[in-house]
This record gives sequence, C-alpha cells and structure tokens, in this order.
Amino acid sequence: MTLAELAITVGLLGALGLVARRFGLSAIPAYLLAGLLLGPNEPTQLALISPSEVTEFVAQLGLVFLLFFLGLEFSLERLSRSGRHFGLGGTVDLVANAGVGLIVGVAAFGTTSAALVLAACIYVSSSAIAVKGLTDFRRLGDDETDLILAVLVFEDIAIAFMLGFAAAGGGGAPETLVLVAKALLFITAGVAASRWLARPLDRLLDRLSLEFFLLAVFGFLVATAALAEELGLSEAIGALMAGIVLSETSIRDQIEERFFSFRDIFAALFFFVFGLSIDVSALGDVGWIVAIAVIATLFGKIGAGWIAGRLGGFTSRQGFNAGVALVAHGEFTIILAQIASGNSSIDADARTDLVAFAGLYVLVTATVGIVLMKESKRLGRILFPIRRLAPET
Amino acid sequence: MPVDLRETRLPGVGVKYAFRTATGGRLAIIIHNDGQREIYFYRRASDDEPTAVIELHDDEARQLGAVIGGAYERPKIVEELELALGELQIEWVDVPDTSPAIGRTLAELGLRAKTGVTVIAILREPEPVSGAQPGDVIQQGDTLVAVGKAGQFAEFRRLLAHGPFEP
Repeated sequence: MTLAELAITVGLLGALGLVARRFGLSAIPAYLLAGLLLGPNEPTQLALISPSEVTEFVAQLGLVFLLFFLGLEFSLERLSRSGRHFGLGGTVDLVANAGVGLIVGVAAFGTTSAALVLAACIYVSSSAIAVKGLTDFRRLGDDETDLILAVLVFEDIAIAFMLGFAAAGGGGAPETLVLVAKALLFITAGVAASRWLARPLDRLLDRLSLEFFLLAVFGFLVATAALAEELGLSEAIGALMAGIVLSETSIRDQIEERFFSFRDIFAALFFFVFGLSIDVSALGDVGWIVAIAVIATLFGKIGAGWIAGRLGGFTSRQGFNAGVALVAHGEFTIILAQIASGNSSIDADARTDLVAFAGLYVLVTATVGIVLMKESKRLGRILFPIRRLAPET
Repeated sequence: MPVDLRETRLPGVGVKYAFRTATGGRLAIIIHNDGQREIYFYRRASDDEPTAVIELHDDEARQLGAVIGGAYERPKIVEELELALGELQIEWVDVPDTSPAIGRTLAELGLRAKTGVTVIAILREPEPVSGAQPGDVIQQGDTLVAVGKAGQFAEFRRLLAHGPFEP
C-alpha cells in the first residue's frame, strides 16, 4: 500500500461514511463496502488495493485499539453497577441467540469449531451500532434502553472469553483446554493487575508529560498485545487486558480522550481491510447461510428482547424495541471472523467462508437493524395495540 | 415531597437520571461521558415518544442548573438590596477597576473618617472577607459591603472611584 493508495482509501472511507451518516446508517457497513469495492475480489472494476503486510499491520492496530477500548470499559466497579437487567436479560439473550447461532453453525459446517465461531458471530450484537441508533433516534431516555445496554455489556464479556478460542481453539480437546486455561489465566491476571497495579501506574503516568504519556500508554498496549501473541493467544486478548489493567486508574478518562481519534482511524481501516478479503462470488457458497442467519437473528434477537423485557417488567412494545435494537451486528462479528481466519486448526475453506459470511451478514443486519430500529415504535404500536382497560367506576 | 430519582449507568454512554413529575409526566436526564447533556420529557409517563428533547453543552447545562436551582437570585440581591436598619443602610459597592484605592489598606484609605461609611466585609473570589480589618488590602474586582447613612454613600462611591488618597 502506497501513500497515494492510502489517500484514495481514506477519501473513499470518508465519502461512504458521510453517505451512510446522511441516511442515518452506521459507518461500519460503509467501511466494509469500501473494502469490498477496492479489494481484489469480485467486483474487480475498482480493484486497486490488494491485501499486503502493510494492510494486515494497519488492521492489526485497529483490532488492538478496538479491544483496548473495550477493556477500558470493563472495570469491576462499573460492571457491578450495571443494574438489575444484566443477569436476566443477558442470560435470555445468550440462551436464545447462541442457541440459534449454534443450529445455523452446525447446519453450515457440521460439528466443527467453525460452527462454534459462527454461533458466536451470530450471537454478538453490535454495541457501536446500537448505541449510535439509540442516540440518533432519541431513545436514551426510554426505560428499555437500560435493558438494551445491560444485554450488550453481557455480550461483550461473553465474547471476551470467546476470543481465545476463535484465535487458536479447535485442534483437539487437550490443546483447546490448555488454550482456554491460558486465556482464562491471562484475563484473571489482567483483572488482578487492575486491582493491584492501578495505584503505581497512576503515579507513574501522572508525572509524565503529554508526549511521553502517549508513548507510555501505547507502548504498554502494544507490549501486552505482543506478549499475548507470543503465548499463543490472540493479540486481541492482550489488548483487551491492557485496557482492563488501565480501567481502574484515575487517568482512564484521559486515556480515552487522547486515544479516541487513534481508535476511530485505525478501526475504520480495520473494517476496510477486512472488506478487502470479502469475496462476493462466494455468495453462492455462503449466501444461503447468510439468509438463514439473518432470519434466525431477526426472530432470535427480537424474541429474546421481548422475553427479557416481559420478565424485567416492561411492556410488550418496550421489549420489542429492545429486541430490535439488538438486530444489528457489527464490530465483534467482524473481529471474531478476522481472528478465526488466522486459526490454523480451522479448515481453510471454512475460514474463507467465515470471512465472507461475516462481511455479508454484517452488511445486511447492520442495515436492516438500523432501519427496523428507526421504525420499531411505529411497528410496536401496530403489533401490540393497546387493550382498552375496563373504565373505572 | 421527596423526588424519587432513579440513577442508571448506561455503559459506553454515560449516566441517566429519571423521575416522575407531580403532573404525571416523566423526565429523563442523560449526562454523556463527553459532557453533553440531554433532557427527555414525556408528557405522560407511559408515552413511548418523548414530547420534547433538549440538548445542552456542558457550560449551558451548568448555567441552566444554576438558574433552576435558584443560584441566580443571590447576585441580584447583592447588587440592589438596600437594607433599611433604622437610619442606617447596608450597601454593596463595587470597586471600579480604575479605582486609586486598589492596593491600599482600609486604614490608609480612611474612608470612615472622610465619609462616615464603614466597610464591614469584602466580597471577593474565592474567599470573601467577613469582618474587614484596617489592615485588609483592596483588590481589583472586590465588592465592599458598607454600612452608613443614606446621604453618605454618594460621597463614599465618588471617593472610592476617584480618590484622592494620601500616598
């Protein structure tokens, strides 16, 4: 990738991002589309950029930043305050949608680890798209918003445990167990470190000037990611842990503020690079999986939202709104597929299919999800008309 | 009646405070992590679309909060209140920025000897001086709380603004 190619890429990302914004859509599908257009696969008219070491590296940085920010949100103290809907809503969503995902996965790949990764891809909704929708459509004041956000946090945690598996799991039972144990140990160490290391880190980083502050945090992030990679875990877990360690420090807000722009740029490039590897001609292979998965997602997510809503004391309409907000899939589906694409224990054909599936599935659900979300209140009024109560005497 | 304020954390967004109003409506206030505020008002608590949404920047929200909380009643009193104490009055007198009194102590100024008005306190940021002493130095931006008879304040203000004071 040359500077000129990067300029064209960033230009296209900006243009498509603006168009998506104009129509109230999320930028993530726009970035994927940009990659799909400029990439070497079908359609080839605009093929300009082919995946190379440079694009891979840029994408890796994007992945590292995305998970670093997820980790920063993970402080124990914050999680313990995430409210009453967390356990109930999260569990209903997990059972319903991981279940639905597993059925689709087994139908597509048989009982392989690819099926498990696919299930996770279908299970995890997009926090980024849901939060953007809730903000844009003025839903933050609604009661059911608490439920939606609690479910999203639950999903993020579940996915953190899935990352290690997607990266290297699936060889054989013993190898997989060792890997899961390593991942658990790594995350536990991270949470423990956030408890004991927060103070010294605080004092150290507080004394640094801005330039060295940026370097120190970035260095810590990259070093942790590299360490995880060396251990045979994914760099994603390392980045997540770096975020968790820093999540308890008092400079957390400062880190978020200073690294926001880095994350946004590299995450955009991450989605773009992922888009490069989507092959539309694979539609014949994975088209039916995508179609089934989208339908399963609509029923699974809306059903789970409705059930969790009713159990949590909401009206049917509110539960419907909550379910619809969870339809859009995005960053985590892509991240899982991207990480799994480097996992040599998964069959090579299955990996290619997973990447194509994730790209197309996100393109569809992100668009359908946000359109449905915009209309969910009107739909809710039609689906659940108010039953007249007996007049009071 | 105490207000039943419910606080919920919105992960990745900020904090939400919600309560029912006495007239049957519902108010939800969102404080975003970036400082942006949003106020949602639902005319009936069961409405699924808000009747009004107000977006505010951090500084606007603080201003609004101060106005609603009643903080702005006080400066008005400070400027205009003239309290009758029999023949005596208490007045709040701003020190003009060009005043020759700035940088001098109350003893040096001799305001009481010259006009009959006594400075009893000095309002200044961050800490007001209650019970002003002869050794207190007048600073730019001060407001003097002074006691005197009605007719004495005109001379007091003139002297404060223009002097002259002995070197």
